[in-house]
Amino acid sequence: MMELLITVFSATFFVTIIRTTTPLLLATLGGLIADLGGALNVALEGMMLIGCLTAVIVSVYAPWYVAVAAGLGAGALLGLIMAFFAFRLKADIILVGFAINILAAGGTVFALAIATGGDKGTSINLQSKAVPAVDLSFLSAIPGIGPVLKSFLSGHSVLSWLAAFLVFAVWYFLYRTPWGLWLRGVGEYPAAPEAAGIPVNKIRTLSLVVSGALAGLGGAQLAMFNYVGFTRDMTAGRGFIALGAVLLGARHPVGALLAALLFGAFEALAVVMPGLFNDIPAELIRMIPFVVTIAALVLFSIRAQRALALRGVK
Amino acid sequence: MSNIPAIDRNSRWKTIRREVGRAVGALAIALLVTFIVVLLTSKAPLEAITQLLTAPASKPRTIGLWLDDVAKLTITGLAFSLVFQARQFAMGVQGQVYIGALAASYVALSPLGASWAGIPLGITAAMLAGAIYGFLPGIAKAKLGANEIVSSLMLNYIAIEVCNFLVRTSLPKPQPGVLTTNDFPDSAVFPQLIKFDGLNVTRLDLGLVFALIAVLVVWFALYRTSWGLKLRLVGHNARFAEYSGIKATFIMVSAMTASGALGGLLGSMFVQGQGYGKLTVLFEGGLAFEGILVAIVARSRPLAVPIVALFYGYLRQGAQLMNIRTDVPAEVIGVVTAIIILLVSSSFSLNFITRLFKRSPAPAAAPATVGGAAK
Repeated sequence: MMELLITVFSATFFVTIIRTTTPLLLATLGGLIADLGGALNVALEGMMLIGCLTAVIVSVYAPWYVAVAAGLGAGALLGLIMAFFAFRLKADIILVGFAINILAAGGTVFALAIATGGDKGTSINLQSKAVPAVDLSFLSAIPGIGPVLKSFLSGHSVLSWLAAFLVFAVWYFLYRTPWGLWLRGVGEYPAAPEAAGIPVNKIRTLSLVVSGALAGLGGAQLAMFNYVGFTRDMTAGRGFIALGAVLLGARHPVGALLAALLFGAFEALAVVMPGLFNDIPAELIRMIPFVVTIAALVLFSIRAQRALALRGVK
Repeated sequence: MSNIPAIDRNSRWKTIRREVGRAVGALAIALLVTFIVVLLTSKAPLEAITQLLTAPASKPRTIGLWLDDVAKLTITGLAFSLVFQARQFAMGVQGQVYIGALAASYVALSPLGASWAGIPLGITAAMLAGAIYGFLPGIAKAKLGANEIVSSLMLNYIAIEVCNFLVRTSLPKPQPGVLTTNDFPDSAVFPQLIKFDGLNVTRLDLGLVFALIAVLVVWFALYRTSWGLKLRLVGHNARFAEYSGIKATFIMVSAMTASGALGGLLGSMFVQGQGYGKLTVLFEGGLAFEGILVAIVARSRPLAVPIVALFYGYLRQGAQLMNIRTDVPAEVIGVVTAIIILLVSSSFSLNFITRLFKRSPAPAAAPATVGGAAK
């Protein structure tokens, strides 16, 4: 037990949390934007997965930033497809989302087998690249707190810093720009912005495109930093956990950050625990993020219901 | 008076014709895309496409495999139809399959499994376990408003890990380190339906009978009982149903529970069927989620589910055989599935391309989602 506590309060564990949180946070922000626009984006999982594979395959032939952009673009394209079927062809958006998930689960394995020449499990024989870490070792020159600062802040992925910035950017967009107001209006009560002459369907489409782009970016981080290379089903439910994180974060960017950090912390725990305890079965450790998601969802729902009861709404 | 049923019958035929037309159109487009993909990626595209389209019907053995898939697809299609008709998007069939299979395995590997009670008790245990597993997200939604999509998906992952864990550790197995249990005693394995010398239709077992019974039971429950009427009303308009005195939350929970029982039954059909006759990790191979396609193409109508399953099962089996015999991976079927779901669940019709270019202004947007569930 002592070893666990020592591990948990170490700087390396903090770095691990940031690493596990980043893909979740990006997907959660994507889910948040879609959700506020009135569309529950259940396809985050599939968008991430396709983002992973696209980033890995492109990174074999191009520099890392092109690969990251490709992952982002793949997600955005899926968002556009989703919007086309949901809004233009009036399909149920949940079903469209699951169609994308099924496409991703089968399609990535198919594309992986084609790209690797038959390997259906991993991209191990592809020379894929990684997203560089930001080296802030100059911080240790600061007297006193320098070394501590360095051990906490140095070594994160470029995309982690981008994700942190995006939390602020999304908040600013949602609450300080007219477009953010439009988006929230469209999600809240579409008839009102429609009557005010705001292009409702265009906004919804854009929100799904951005949502997909963020999920694809999360996929790029997952396949080019957390792990380098693609593994079949490597997102392992992260997109669905992100969906839970949107709800848990009370549909607010800062809440999304906190919820993603919570799930990221438990995932990090699942990463370090096998090294510390040999007697806890791996299956139970792998279960942790899912159990925590359900527990958080239930607790949050209880709280939300209490809040409603207080306001006298039944 | 007398012509009303005639009109009714006419419009029903028209609906059926329209739906069949849409399904066939979607299938044709999906196959076209598949052919293009195969042409671009395979070294022997013609061979691959021939295998996809003809292999399942080529031998009695493959016909057996195909019909076994059909039975399983029918059950998962029914499970999704039940919740879709109530407009709940519970995605927990996969989890229910694993939990049901675990329950059935515990019965089959116990002393009871070696007696005549092995099959009936195994099925009952599986259905009960599945029902409980389906009940959980239902009650969490009804009492707390917890989103059923997220909770049921999380329960899927948990069930898979529980199954992995128990198979690896506590369940009896032939030798340590193997990720399967002991073979079930013969009395706990569904008997083969057809046994001819030379006509080796393995795999075709009692599960097919259960699937057909399940079709009739679900149809009867949905269209010939007051529970079914209430369920469909809740699905059409939950608020209206609530105003007319129907306990919408009770109906939602009971629909998810009944669907869970079907999921559990599917679990027992997997492990107690001729295909396995034992519990293996990850035995389900993603089949449970394909029920979404079956339910959508069948428009959640129980009587249409086995017909859709028949066609889709053929393609699925064709893809597996193509995978074995040529260089095209079976996962290409995922592309087919996704395209069919997208086209059938949308307002796609064969002249939809012409409508696309008309660019009529979009009609006043009703909330196009059930995202309301998330609020």
